[in-house]
Amino acid sequence: MNVTHEEGLGVVGDAPDTSPRRSAANPVAGLFKQLGSRYAVVGVWIAMIVVYSIDEPGQFFTTSAFQTIFGSQYNLVFLTMALLCTIIVGEFVDLSVPSVFGFAATILTVLTVNHGWNVWEATVVAVIGAMLVGAVNGYLIVNLGVNTIVVTLGMSTLLLGVSLWMSDMNTISGLPSSFSKIATTELGGLPISFYYGVLIVGVFAYLLGCTPLGRHMRFVGANREVSRLAGIRVNRIRFGSFVAAGAFSGVGAAVSVATIGSFNPSSSATLLLPVFASVFLGTAIVEPGRFNPIGTLIGIYFLATGILGLELLNLQEWISNVFYGGVLVIAVTISTLLRKRTS
Amino acid sequence: MRRLEVAGLSKTFGSTRALRDVRIEIAPGELHGLVGQNGCGKSTLVKILTGVYTPDPGGSITVDGRPLGLPVRPAHQREAGVSVVHQNLGLVDDRTVWENVRLGRYRAGRLTRRIDRKVERAEAGRILSELGYELDVDLPTGRLSAQDRAAVAIARAVQDRRPGGGLVIFDESTRALGRSARARFFELVKQLTGEGTAVLMISHQLDEVVESTDRVTVLRDGAVVEGAVETKDVNEAELTRMMLGRHLVTHIRGTSHVRTETAASVRGLAADLVSGFDLEVRQGEIVGLTGLIGSGFVEAAEAVAGSRHATAGTLAVDGRELALADRRASTEAFVAAGVGFVPERRLEEGLAGEMSVTENLTLPRVRSRGGRLRTGSDWQARETAEMIDKLDIRPPDPRKPVGTLSGGNQQKVMLGKWLAGKPRLLVLHEPTQAVDVGARHDIIDVIREAASEGCGIVLASIDPVDLAALCDRVLVFRDGRVAEELSGELEPDTIAHAVFGDETRVQEKKTVENR
Repeated sequence: MNVTHEEGLGVVGDAPDTSPRRSAANPVAGLFKQLGSRYAVVGVWIAMIVVYSIDEPGQFFTTSAFQTIFGSQYNLVFLTMALLCTIIVGEFVDLSVPSVFGFAATILTVLTVNHGWNVWEATVVAVIGAMLVGAVNGYLIVNLGVNTIVVTLGMSTLLLGVSLWMSDMNTISGLPSSFSKIATTELGGLPISFYYGVLIVGVFAYLLGCTPLGRHMRFVGANREVSRLAGIRVNRIRFGSFVAAGAFSGVGAAVSVATIGSFNPSSSATLLLPVFASVFLGTAIVEPGRFNPIGTLIGIYFLATGILGLELLNLQEWISNVFYGGVLVIAVTISTLLRKRTS
Repeated sequence: MRRLEVAGLSKTFGSTRALRDVRIEIAPGELHGLVGQNGCGKSTLVKILTGVYTPDPGGSITVDGRPLGLPVRPAHQREAGVSVVHQNLGLVDDRTVWENVRLGRYRAGRLTRRIDRKVERAEAGRILSELGYELDVDLPTGRLSAQDRAAVAIARAVQDRRPGGGLVIFDESTRALGRSARARFFELVKQLTGEGTAVLMISHQLDEVVESTDRVTVLRDGAVVEGAVETKDVNEAELTRMMLGRHLVTHIRGTSHVRTETAASVRGLAADLVSGFDLEVRQGEIVGLTGLIGSGFVEAAEAVAGSRHATAGTLAVDGRELALADRRASTEAFVAAGVGFVPERRLEEGLAGEMSVTENLTLPRVRSRGGRLRTGSDWQARETAEMIDKLDIRPPDPRKPVGTLSGGNQQKVMLGKWLAGKPRLLVLHEPTQAVDVGARHDIIDVIREAASEGCGIVLASIDPVDLAALCDRVLVFRDGRVAEELSGELEPDTIAHAVFGDETRVQEKKTVENR
């Protein structure tokens, strides 16, 4: 049953085949199977590019389309990493990520433009503000044991309201141009913000894969009691993850504000669905069945490619809702099925 | 005519067979016991009877001569008069007695779909009074005493039976009941069987099985090893032996490795019903903790390992004094001092099933042995290879998710996880439970080897054969205290006798204590 479902979606081939007997009997087939399950989404991605290129000659397979896809997703990269922080340690799920991002961006713009602060000082305050929100989330959820979804849903709405109040419900623009350099300086045809994203994903992946802290985070996510009995300070790691999530959102906000030169507080809510769609799609890539940073990064560009192609087909804005929503549901289904198999 | 007849019932999960060709027969009016260790297939059987699992093709379940369609559907099950009382009684505490009794059977008005309170209240009262119970049906069940709650659960279970018919399955239902409540509970059960209703009682409490049932069936590794033994022919020690199985490999007691230096000492431990527990474990010594379920030996072991919250006490290991009662203390200090714990519930407390063998094995040491910025793969590979070899973990694949291994191999990974760190004190809880004979042999050898290297070991177990094969001395718990200490040449029978005693001896003891 499961197999036909997954094959029907064309996204996942099979779970990793680690059984030594089978792979010993046919190592080549085993390797292909592994690659198939890990990189099936990448295959679909390439197929999508080919189809769009044939369908829209001269429009899709161009430098500007390439730049749009890879140069515009910096928000999502930071926010998905923020969501990964808590989801990897088993907190399901932090809905406040986009609002924390919006909150930090609003602090930054309001302090700089309306109150005449130095933009760097304002940036520091904004990031600290985002981390404080993370700490409050962490305290309520970890120390007091309140339900994650309820806390973060409430926090999300609260922060959106506070941001709208601070900005008087206006788009605030007029940041110094020197500030925008930190994000828009071009390097090889792409803004530097793209490389920031690749860098933090790389660091995060290294942390999870190669450091004791990352191993502990994985175990806390897999089984809290086992982790506690192995001497891991479970609550400290959970709390720290919320603060780190705040930091990612805050830094992402600074990069975003620097890129656009302005910020509209009501825009942050539209990021929620793409963030979730990317993170869950990421569980079908690289490490099937696991939340992982590199898979998430690939997922982000996969989604961006799909949306751009559909927009070039002259489909209207509704298409992004359909696409992100659809991918989220499909991705969660696949990740659930993959998890069932490994556990 | 049989009330319940289960024949040829099997259930396979992936590559493991949870039930093999199970056969059970229960006569009308019979109180039938079903016993076995954790993981023997009891809960799988109940889940098949209640329709949660679909059994493998080929088996049959017959009630009063009429076959029940498989998988069992709740409606058919109820029609046939089969009902189940679950472990926690399945009551919703903030709802009233009548709401709980009638749950799932409410009759609603034709048009308004409103529950007719008057009818339901009267109905609940009638069912309870048939059982000889008078309860205020408007009280929330959460405010009732334990025995009244049990009565409510039973009332719900039996209301559909035809008088004198039906079968009630009690799945560990007495766990939540105190001693006096239990007496009243069994009065109710006897009343049911007296009317002709059959009862299947699944229980860990061997004393109550021996006391109250007519016949008993013993499950081991998914198969019936003793079907419908007349209970009057067996005692608790014999039942235990049947549950654990006659080990094909008889272990000759190894030489003792006890040294003079102390490995760990526990002072004044209090946790749950345990109080004033002192224990001195010397290096290389294996101390067994045993007793009846509920006597406190499990709680004592878990509190020593830092897994259970204690209310008082200290543990001294390696010159460090650890407070057992400190609420906020993580087990970090225990692990750092060299205390390892192999729990009974493998995938809840021992291992993360989705993580690999290597990741699970090395978990307690990734920070101390790895660098801050790098876990380091060499030592992990070495440690894992060493433990896979030493414990004969199969398949010998370090990257395999632990959840996909068999129970015996999971048990070995749990042991290896701590042994690789050369612990000073190792607390083991039923280390050979539900593992096959070969794995058991390996595990016992490895425990002995750890002792010979100077590790102090606390072994909490109900298995007299394990205890006799491994321990230098055995502490027998009764009512939260050490009632007896056995040492010297230990025999399984001596240990079983000390745990279960026999009726007369226990009573004699009580009268002595009373004086």
